[in-house]
Amino acid sequence: MLTRAVLFIVVGLYTAFAAGPFLWVASMSMRTTSEISLDHYAWPAKWHWEKFAQAWFNSNYNVYFENSLLVVVSAVAVLTVVGSMAAHCFARYRFPANRVLYFVIFSTIIFPPQITIIALFQILVQYGLYDSLLGLALVYVAVQLPLTVYVLESFFARIPGDLFDAARIDGYSEWQIFWKVSLPIALPAIATAVILNTILLWNEFLYAVVLITDESKRTLPLGIQRFMGDQLEDVGMIATGLMIAIVPVVLIYVFFSEKLIQGMTAGAVK
Amino acid sequence: MASLVRPGADARALAAPRVDRQPWGAIVLFLLPAFTVYTALTAYPVLRTLWNSAHTVLPHSAQFTGLANYAALAHDDIFWRSVRNTFVWSCVSPVTEVSIGLLLALALYARIPGRRFFRIAWFTPVLMSYVIVGIIWVWIYNYDWGAANAILRAIGLGRYVQAWIGDPKIALPSLIFVTTWMWTGFNMVVLLAAMHSLPSEVLEAAELDNCGWMAKLWHVVIPLIRPTILNLIVLSFIGKMKIFDLVWITTKGGPLWSTETVSTYLYKRAFEWSTFDLGYPSTIAVVWFVIVLAGVFALTWLFRQRERLEF
Repeated sequence: MLTRAVLFIVVGLYTAFAAGPFLWVASMSMRTTSEISLDHYAWPAKWHWEKFAQAWFNSNYNVYFENSLLVVVSAVAVLTVVGSMAAHCFARYRFPANRVLYFVIFSTIIFPPQITIIALFQILVQYGLYDSLLGLALVYVAVQLPLTVYVLESFFARIPGDLFDAARIDGYSEWQIFWKVSLPIALPAIATAVILNTILLWNEFLYAVVLITDESKRTLPLGIQRFMGDQLEDVGMIATGLMIAIVPVVLIYVFFSEKLIQGMTAGAVK
Repeated sequence: MASLVRPGADARALAAPRVDRQPWGAIVLFLLPAFTVYTALTAYPVLRTLWNSAHTVLPHSAQFTGLANYAALAHDDIFWRSVRNTFVWSCVSPVTEVSIGLLLALALYARIPGRRFFRIAWFTPVLMSYVIVGIIWVWIYNYDWGAANAILRAIGLGRYVQAWIGDPKIALPSLIFVTTWMWTGFNMVVLLAAMHSLPSEVLEAAELDNCGWMAKLWHVVIPLIRPTILNLIVLSFIGKMKIFDLVWITTKGGPLWSTETVSTYLYKRAFEWSTFDLGYPSTIAVVWFVIVLAGVFALTWLFRQRERLEF
């Protein structure tokens, strides 16, 4: 009984430690900076919802949000198609060099981003893709490709081969087998990959900071950084800005927490 | 769900009979997009960085300098300082994150009510970007009203109040604390998943042997999830070798280079300092790339040696 109580206290304390900072920011996002400077830890006396509208329209958040949405959605869409085609191929066809090619793609998972980032900057400048959302989205596809192929391949490999033989007897072409047999069955794994990539790219900062400079093309993390630089003392407004970036992630998490945890832990449990 | 469990060898064998004749057209079609992206935006940049590292690369010209960049790097004190900081980070973090994560996972494994809620709550910090986490912790570490100092004052430890990320002596540990806060929950959830995927016969056998709860954990559960623990250590190690965002948002490598990491230093040399030369930063990238790969191989080799000794 005593050990139970101790366990509960430990678990409770850690939960407060892990979640506390977010609750603090959430409370500050509802208060004005002058209210906050009186007491940083008070509950909102009056809920200032209008601060969200202010951040959205007056501080360019609508632009940042739109840019992030555009880049992430297009990159994830391309990633899903390209990644599942490759994963299907690696899992289905036993051709020479299969494992070698798989390893070539997979091994880039451990590359530090620094080894490509300077050259990516040069290449995008050269081809007029520097400081464009298209260029950033293309780079995101390349960055997330190994993880996507890895998550999907292990799932595709477990689809029973008999299904494909049956489809072949029915006269399906190789492409139809992929499109009408593999993909529908692999939908759960694809959902996992989509959610995982969405969150990771939504939060991405390093490539964005190197490849984007124009104010009108900033993604959310860049926008927040600039916003913080501009409004250093305006804690309340920055907190509101942070909440705007947090809310979509929390929404995804509320609906898909199991899927997301699966995706993020898939690589680590072996 | 399936992807959580190991993509086991047996499952793979079941799915086996792949096609006998090779439909090469289809294979090429399926792999072409992925390898186009890979070649253009991964392989080519790596090679180009290598080429850069032997040149002085100005916006409209490049001049061959051989190994001069490498020689200069060997005497670059700030670079070695940043290497040391990054290494400290990537050696301390795996230990703290995985050990605390393991303790918490064990607490949840003991079937505490509300497990699902705790699991979701503890995982949250990982989902936030380093930019958001960085800003929040700049506030928590604020000297006048930050939570860290406020709590110390409230419990009567006012003499420990300090400028957490403003003091060169304590700035790096303060940031390591932030990544530990962020990643412990992730490690905990992974370890918990590993524990729950253990075959129940093993645990029942331990129960039959009238093994105590602690003994069961220590002698049965932990050895069985060892591969997962080692994986997490490697993952955490790699993650910290790459760290950039958090430092950039909180300290930009300061004060006095005390939190400079290789990533931030490389970024400064390539895009902040007005030297316009991309050759030298590329040299940093290449040397760092080799160090990271060596580190990862050393770790996996070390773990494999340990494995061998035990049997």
